[in-house]
Amino acid sequence: MSLENTCEEISQSESQVENLREHKENGDTVKTDKVKVDILLKATGNAPIMKKKKWAVDAEKPIGWIMEFVKKYLKLEPDEKLFLYVNQTFAPSPDQVIKNLYECFGTDGKLVLHYCKSQAWG
Amino acid sequence: MANDREVLREIWDGKLPVCFQLDQEEIMEIQQPDPFYVMVPRLSYFPLVIDKMKRHFLRFISQENADNEMWLDYNGQPLKWHYPIGFLYDLYCGSDPQTPWILTVHFSKFPENILLHCPNKDIVEAHYMSTVKEADVLKHRGQVMSTMQKKDHNQLWLGLQNDKFDQFWAINRRLMESHGESEGFKNIPIRIYSEDGTYIQRLINPKNSDGSRKVVQQLISELYPENPVKLRTHGINIPLDTPLQWLSEHMSYPDNFLHVCIC
Repeated sequence: MSLENTCEEISQSESQVENLREHKENGDTVKTDKVKVDILLKATGNAPIMKKKKWAVDAEKPIGWIMEFVKKYLKLEPDEKLFLYVNQTFAPSPDQVIKNLYECFGTDGKLVLHYCKSQAWG
Repeated sequence: MANDREVLREIWDGKLPVCFQLDQEEIMEIQQPDPFYVMVPRLSYFPLVIDKMKRHFLRFISQENADNEMWLDYNGQPLKWHYPIGFLYDLYCGSDPQTPWILTVHFSKFPENILLHCPNKDIVEAHYMSTVKEADVLKHRGQVMSTMQKKDHNQLWLGLQNDKFDQFWAINRRLMESHGESEGFKNIPIRIYSEDGTYIQRLINPKNSDGSRKVVQQLISELYPENPVKLRTHGINIPLDTPLQWLSEHMSYPDNFLHVCIC
């Protein structure tokens, strides 16, 4: 059971990946009109580790967009699966907006998301 | 714990008359298909109740579209299968109720950027279980779901899928219990939707800082201080003096979330 095929269109995500900006160590982010929140991407199970784990992302973006970003970053094949988990408990639906998850499940100013290539929890 | 059993039963038994019509562009036969009428449970999801309807329309469409994923719209608005049916009706029809609810059935031009794909019912189950887990993280730090057995999880799902109230509530009651010394959940799982279908979800404590029970009026002034809105769920406007804890225990959808529309 998986929801991996249910993301936004890849073509749409590709142009948006360029907009995902690095979060600098001193906490500065590039100034835009959009509200950004910090997410921390942690590998689990057999998933490859991401060299850069902390990212500042547009709070209005959906989880499906993050999934496509991670798949692209890890250079996964289009048919490879990727699962994202919040609180190491539940897999948010791809259309859930980052801001809602950050408000409810963020800790210490960031939202921790675990990713893996097979179903890890539930 | 939920104890107003009549309320739970009333909510569970809520049904909607729906009239499905095949999109004119899909019809390949000279003979027009009859519309398909059915009563559907408000608490269910469309993929669980449309097998017969799909069979009814399949012989009227182009064979090359027969294996495509079917999708629905109301008034040009594609309907998300992963939201409960009754909630979708309240969202799009709540302010101007019509019965039967007339929906259009499509087998082509799937709106990729709006709808998630639903190749089979396992996907609905996965989505449902994940939402229950999210709600339990908010209510009990996830402790109830994680201590349940797999067969309990199955029973929840089967109870919903087969419209079995007792089977469902035998398990769901444990998710509606309060833990610890304080009576009430840690937070109330609630999603508040605007007309466009987007929603906000925040940490909502069922109590005020002085320990008194928080009511709907107080929630509204917390979230919308400038603009006092009204909230609707299960086809009714929620009285402003309803305590949030009671609302959560009795008016949540089977996924354990309150889905309320601004009206």
